[in-house]
Amino acid sequence: MRILTRDTWIGVVMLIVAAVYWFEASKIRVSPLDDGIGAAGLPKVLAYALGALAIILIIRSIVGALMFGAPTEKAEPKKPAVEVWKPHLRAVGMLAIGVGYLLLVSWLGYIITVALLLLSVSLYIGAELNARTLLVAGIGGIVYHLLFVEFLGIPLPSGAILGPLLNG
Amino acid sequence: MEGFSYAWSALTTTPAAFAAMGGVIWGILGGALPGISPSIAMALLLPFTYSMEPIPAIVLLAATYVGAEYGGSIPAILIRTPGTNAAAATAIDGYEMQKQGRGGEALGISLVSGVIGGMIGLFCLVLLTKPLASVALYFTPPAYFSLGILGLSVIASLSTGSLVKGLMAGTIGLMIATVGTDPVSGVNRFTYGAPELLGGIPFILVMVGVFAVSELLVQAGKPETAKSERTQMTIRLPNWAMLRRLRKPQAIGSGIGLFEGCMPGAGGSIAAFMAYNEARRWSKNPEEFGKGSPEAIAAPESANNTVAGTALVPMLSFGIPGSNSTAILLGGLLIHGLQPGPLLFEQHPDFIYGLFGGLFVANFSLFFLGILILTPAIWLVNRPKPYLMAAIYALIFSGIYSIDNTLFDLYLVLIAGAVGYVMRLLGFPFLPLVLGLVLGYLIEANYRRSLLLTGGEHRVFIEDPISLGLLLTALVFVIGSGWRDYRHAKKDREAAKQDDGT
Repeated sequence: MRILTRDTWIGVVMLIVAAVYWFEASKIRVSPLDDGIGAAGLPKVLAYALGALAIILIIRSIVGALMFGAPTEKAEPKKPAVEVWKPHLRAVGMLAIGVGYLLLVSWLGYIITVALLLLSVSLYIGAELNARTLLVAGIGGIVYHLLFVEFLGIPLPSGAILGPLLNG
Repeated sequence: MEGFSYAWSALTTTPAAFAAMGGVIWGILGGALPGISPSIAMALLLPFTYSMEPIPAIVLLAATYVGAEYGGSIPAILIRTPGTNAAAATAIDGYEMQKQGRGGEALGISLVSGVIGGMIGLFCLVLLTKPLASVALYFTPPAYFSLGILGLSVIASLSTGSLVKGLMAGTIGLMIATVGTDPVSGVNRFTYGAPELLGGIPFILVMVGVFAVSELLVQAGKPETAKSERTQMTIRLPNWAMLRRLRKPQAIGSGIGLFEGCMPGAGGSIAAFMAYNEARRWSKNPEEFGKGSPEAIAAPESANNTVAGTALVPMLSFGIPGSNSTAILLGGLLIHGLQPGPLLFEQHPDFIYGLFGGLFVANFSLFFLGILILTPAIWLVNRPKPYLMAAIYALIFSGIYSIDNTLFDLYLVLIAGAVGYVMRLLGFPFLPLVLGLVLGYLIEANYRRSLLLTGGEHRVFIEDPISLGLLLTALVFVIGSGWRDYRHAKKDREAAKQDDGT
């Protein structure tokens, strides 16, 4: 019988989070201006609370599995590992596109980077690489630039490369 | 009369009326897009409210909520895909009417019922908020602390799936709220030398991350493979005979919406389904339900639009948001330094009545804008998903940058998005996390203030009668939901065993 369910592992991870948080809280400086609780007081209480909840989750999941059997995830047909992980990997890819935007925007400037962001996300989610997609990304970049930089006056990065050219 | 003059002044001297109409348009468009819930539509607007005056800013957010509740019914009726959770009940008979070539009529019923429900909700909001808030005048620091605990417990207890996970999410929200400078001693906590964290992690970043970015991450896992069904439609408003027929389901929907909106955690979805069931029970033609009954659209639409008004009652009176949307609204209030509760009525009556005035304009204009915006909304529903998702991602990056003009905030939003994605995956509810975050300061500050006043005596929390009452209520909610969780788990396991046996 499978005793360790998904909730058991969630409980274990939360217990580790609580321990790390408590350890970090214990490093908070004691100030002469502190009240009786201190700056570390609430964080430590929260660490204990999370730890206690994690233990409850672990015990509940194990007791539940022993008494009633593991939750019936098996009722669904088992998918290959690639299929199971694919959506999560795609989510990571989406995050990577976001990080790429953040790394590039200071260099290329807002207008180009936002157009690249529109293009890459469109392609990533399933658009075809054709004139329409390129046009949407290009016009989108210009519209965003006009809206945020020209209309709303937000000083979005003009870019280390193109900025000097654009700013004369 | 004084309230009326405040409302009039807000509408004529600030851009509140334009904000109301802009919010309704944005809400209808956002609500019409499947996957963009009212709270996501509101979260996307939050960054833009930073530089606005408080009244138009909050009116903009509240009007978005109003618009999104109607907007959700558009794809529900046209393509049987509810734009919002609350529109799921509308999809049942709305799509049946669409299949019978009566989609325009269904949209008209939805719009009129939404406007009526919204107006009733607003009336109840105006009537109930001040008396309830005046109760809070007797609140002391221990009572405020207990109120914060009640806020957390109510939502955690109503978290779907698992009470323990709800409480964990609330605790993590409180943990995030401790980042930054300690409110009493000024000591830095969990800042790791980053000056951007000295002021704490702004909850707007967490809200946009967990609601909007995590939704994009989910959508990224489902790339568009098939072309969606394309539709076109002209709205048809109900005639007098139909309006008379719809009076009863609208009254049922609004009554349920009033009750459910005031109950923290219930929300528009529950109200809409309850209204659907009750309307069927009291209908002269219950056999039509499920086959394209106009009453089956009127009841849930009245209910969820009433909730958009009455859900503000506990939020404005006590600072307890009962849903994701009102949590974001609370975030908007706090961004502008407005703390909900009795003092809000004492110190900022112009704001409160300005908000009521703005909501009146929002509900009134919903009728006209609902007709005008229908064509662009349908156009938007028909756009390819990849372009829409890309546009939203770019909007998030641009909007968040505009708050403090720093890329650091964008990294935090991405981290919050990743956390939100993992939470969805593991069945953690968002609302307790957001509540922990927004109630964190209230809880910590009043906890420490109470102990300072009593020399560290924890008894103060049970000696203060209001505090004791609130803590006991919190306990009832937690025990009640624990019992509910236990019963559900037992039922599921018994059903699974029966399945295994057959």
